[in-house]
Amino acid sequence: MLPTPLALIAEITHRCPLHCVYCSNPLEMQKAASELPTEDWVRVFREAGKLGVLHLHLTGGEPLARTDLTELIVGARTAGLYVNLITSGIGLSEQRLAALVQAGLEHLQLSFQDSREAEANEIAGTRSHPHKLQLARLIRQFKIAFTINVVVHRQNLDHLADIIAMAEELGPDRLEIANVQYYGWALSNRNLLLPTQQQVEQSQRTLAAAEERLRGRMRIDYVAPDYYARYPKACMGGWGRRLLLLDPAGQALPCHAAGVIPGMKFDNVRQHSLDWIWRESAAFQRFRGEDWMPEPCRSCDRRTEDFGGCRCQAFLLTGDAAATDPVCTLAPTHRVVEQALAQISSDGLPSPVLPSAERWVYRPNPG
Amino acid sequence: MAASGSFYSGGRLGVMPVPEKNSKPRLAPGCRWAEANGAERMLMFPEGALRLQGTGRDILERCDGQRTLQQIVEELQAQYKTGDVGRIEQEVSNFLESLRQKRIVDF
Repeated sequence: MLPTPLALIAEITHRCPLHCVYCSNPLEMQKAASELPTEDWVRVFREAGKLGVLHLHLTGGEPLARTDLTELIVGARTAGLYVNLITSGIGLSEQRLAALVQAGLEHLQLSFQDSREAEANEIAGTRSHPHKLQLARLIRQFKIAFTINVVVHRQNLDHLADIIAMAEELGPDRLEIANVQYYGWALSNRNLLLPTQQQVEQSQRTLAAAEERLRGRMRIDYVAPDYYARYPKACMGGWGRRLLLLDPAGQALPCHAAGVIPGMKFDNVRQHSLDWIWRESAAFQRFRGEDWMPEPCRSCDRRTEDFGGCRCQAFLLTGDAAATDPVCTLAPTHRVVEQALAQISSDGLPSPVLPSAERWVYRPNPG
Repeated sequence: MAASGSFYSGGRLGVMPVPEKNSKPRLAPGCRWAEANGAERMLMFPEGALRLQGTGRDILERCDGQRTLQQIVEELQAQYKTGDVGRIEQEVSNFLESLRQKRIVDF
C-alpha cells in the first residue's frame, strides 16, 4: 500500500543573499520570474493537508526573500500543517519575526556556518555571522521552537566544542550538527570539505560528552558523515515514501538533488494535484519500493532500513542511479569512496591557514 | 538551506531524573495538539508527531502549566481507580522526563 507523505519541503525561492559552498540547491537554479505565485502555494498547502502531510518545511534559497511569506504561513496553518522555517536570518527584523509568529510560525531553524566570524563569513561568501548572533537572542524571546543548524566539514569540525558552546549560550531547544552531504555545490567543493577520519572520531567524542551534559536543556541531533559510515543513510526515509519536495517553479521532486539523475521528468503542481503527483508521477515511482534494487541490496536484510541508500549519490559517484549507494561497505563500487578518503588523508591534516576564497566554488544568486 | 538529511530521526533516552512533585509540566514551545480523531489525538512538534491514546493522552492533556505533577497523579489515580500511587507517579515521571529530553515537555 502506498504510504502517506509525512512532510512537504517547499523551496519557495532559490534567491539567497548567502553563497554557501555546500548549498543543497541544484546547480541549475530557478530564477525569480519562474517562482510560483502566492495563490498556487496556498492551494498546494491545502492539497498537502488533505493528503495527510503533517509538516511543512519552508526553505529556499532564503525563504525570507519572498515578501508574501506571512500569507504563505497563514495558508499553511489554515490547511492544518505544522510550519517550520529554515532560514539564514538575513532579512529578518524584530517586526517581521513578530508578524511571522503571529501568522502561525511554530518552529524556526537558524543556520550558522561556524563559531568564528571570519571562517563563517568565508563559507557563506558574505558577512552574516554578527547578524545571526543578534537574531538568535531575539528569536529566543518568542514562544516558538528554536533550532540552530550547523553544517560541519573539514574547515570547522575542529571548532565543534566552540560551536556547541556558542549554541549553549544562545539557548535553542535543539542543535542540529549535520555533516555535509556531497551533491551539487558541496560535491564541487568536496576536496576542501571532506573531513579526516581523525576529525570525525574526535567530533563524535565531543558530541557524546555534550549530549550527556546538556540532556534535557538542549537536544542535539547529528547527521553522520556517510562517507565514513559502514552502511548508507536512509536517504529521505526512502524514495517517494515519506517526503515530497517542491522547487520554486512548482516542480515536484522526491529529493533535493533528484534533478541530477538522467531521464527524470518532474511533474508540476501548476498542471497536477499533489495527490496525483504522489501516486502517479513517474519521478516518484522510479525508485519506490524494492523492484529496482540490484544485489547486494535485493537480498540484504538492511534494505527495509536504508532502502539502498541515496540514488543521487549512486549516480554522481558511479554513473548509475540504480547502483547500491557506494558509501555502503558492501557495494561493489565502494572503492570510489575509499579513494576519495585516501586522497584526504594523503593531503594531510586541515591546513592551519584558511583556504583562499578563490579556491571555493560559491553558489551564486539566481536573480 | 544546508545539504543535510535528518528527518524523523529517533531520539535517545537516557537515565531518568524525575520531575519534582510541585513542578508544573507544560508543552514546550512549538509543540501543540492537532485535532482529535476519535480516541486518538496527535501531538505535533518540530520534525515529528506522536499519536496518543489512553494513558499517554490522559497525562499530556493535563500538562497545561497549571497543574502540578502531584495533581496530575491524583487525577489519574481517581480516573483509573487504582491504589498504587507510587507506581503511577513513577510512570508519569518517566514518561514526562523522556519527553523533556526530546524537548516536547518543559517543567
